[in-house]
Amino acid sequence: MSVARLTFPVYTREKSEAPAVPALEGPSAGTEGVIASEEDIRQGLSRELARLWRYAVVLSRQRDVADDLVQATCVRALERAGQYEAGTRLDRWLFSILHSIWLNEVRSRRVREGQGFVDADRSLVFDGARQAETHLLAAQVLQQVQALPEAQRSAVFLAYVEGLSYREVAVVLDVPIGTVMSRLAAARAKLADGAGASGSARRTNGGQT
Amino acid sequence: MSERKDGKPFSDEMLVAYMDGELSDAERDAVEALIGSDSEAAVRFEHLSRSALPFREAFAPLLAAAPAARLDAMLAAVPAVSAPKAAAGIGRRGLLAAAAACLVAGIALDRTVLGVARRLSGPDESAEWRAVVAEYLALYTADTLSAPAGDHAAQAAQLALVGEKLGMTLTPEAVALPGTDFRRAQVLQYDGMPLAQIVYLHPETGPMALCMILSNAGAAAPEAERRRGMNVVYWSSATHAFMLIGRAPVDELQALADHVRGVLPA
Repeated sequence: MSVARLTFPVYTREKSEAPAVPALEGPSAGTEGVIASEEDIRQGLSRELARLWRYAVVLSRQRDVADDLVQATCVRALERAGQYEAGTRLDRWLFSILHSIWLNEVRSRRVREGQGFVDADRSLVFDGARQAETHLLAAQVLQQVQALPEAQRSAVFLAYVEGLSYREVAVVLDVPIGTVMSRLAAARAKLADGAGASGSARRTNGGQT
Repeated sequence: MSERKDGKPFSDEMLVAYMDGELSDAERDAVEALIGSDSEAAVRFEHLSRSALPFREAFAPLLAAAPAARLDAMLAAVPAVSAPKAAAGIGRRGLLAAAAACLVAGIALDRTVLGVARRLSGPDESAEWRAVVAEYLALYTADTLSAPAGDHAAQAAQLALVGEKLGMTLTPEAVALPGTDFRRAQVLQYDGMPLAQIVYLHPETGPMALCMILSNAGAAAPEAERRRGMNVVYWSSATHAFMLIGRAPVDELQALADHVRGVLPA
């Protein structure tokens, strides 16, 4: 296959349309508004628990830590209900809260206590095995992503699994958009290298380098 | 679109952002022109395109695996934070209530972060560890267990080690299952807790395992279920949960479970 004839299998990321959270129609009065939105946040949380838990597993690679992380996220989100901007995506807001708790509290605490981190292999015995029989490729992809360093893993997960835009990923991770770009590029390069091993068996190498 | 330091007119960031539909129209045109004219860029683009993997599908099972009932119960247990409505000025009672609510929320968070309230033991939790064990054991074949079991002393040492983690006294005699061969005992980890796995080889039906974890869910009589094409008999004592799993007929597993319950210290 010559390079000139290459078709470009452009991976257009499906823009996810996770159910948008309806804009909060809180009364304009201050105190009343805060009280109303706390209940709204609680309802929003109950809709997003599974997605929050999944992100927590991606970050921590451990189910029990994920449980704790989601719980802390719920507590924090309800405490800060008044800071939620009505009309914005609640799921993104919750992702950022979860991420900052992970980064600033749980993760740092685990490092301090020398508990370290679970390596991808062991966590996947538990988290990936269930699906191994249903879809081998999917299981491999999960494994490859979970093997990425945390900074790349979270960016890949938010952008390609949850369908966030670069800008939204940057907000959740609290980093500049350029950092998101370089993390995603580094991750994609690594994943492409991994895919290349099996890919080269299928493809005829055109001799180009 | 600045040039890279190494002089190449493209970067991975640019190509990936193009694939992700994150470039402006002008930038997109530029990348397309570049890929069409620069073979190095085209090769790199083609290489990076291999990373267009089914990410969403890959992570879907993890969403399904979320412990929904436990998470719901956990959310319901988080107390309301807001102070009660204070229509005309906040009275002393309102302040006290607010203080109390903050205190409760603070405790909830502490418990979370400290991991004291490890988990709410919902009805699905006991099933979850069995599901994990079944998945694990489903990968075993008789060949997996072909290694020799070691002599009595080696077995005793291995079991003592495992027993220590679980707070039980395990000996080769106590864990022997009539009609099967003991192969090995090891400690795995389930959600940060030790999980003892004692593996046997059944002459006709292949791998069989007796597994235990610490559990304070309370004593329960044996029950049978099927998982991953295997039979499971499970029960619990005041301190541990047990399961016996294998492809042997359920009657045989029941009988072996009764035997284990008779000899193993609870």
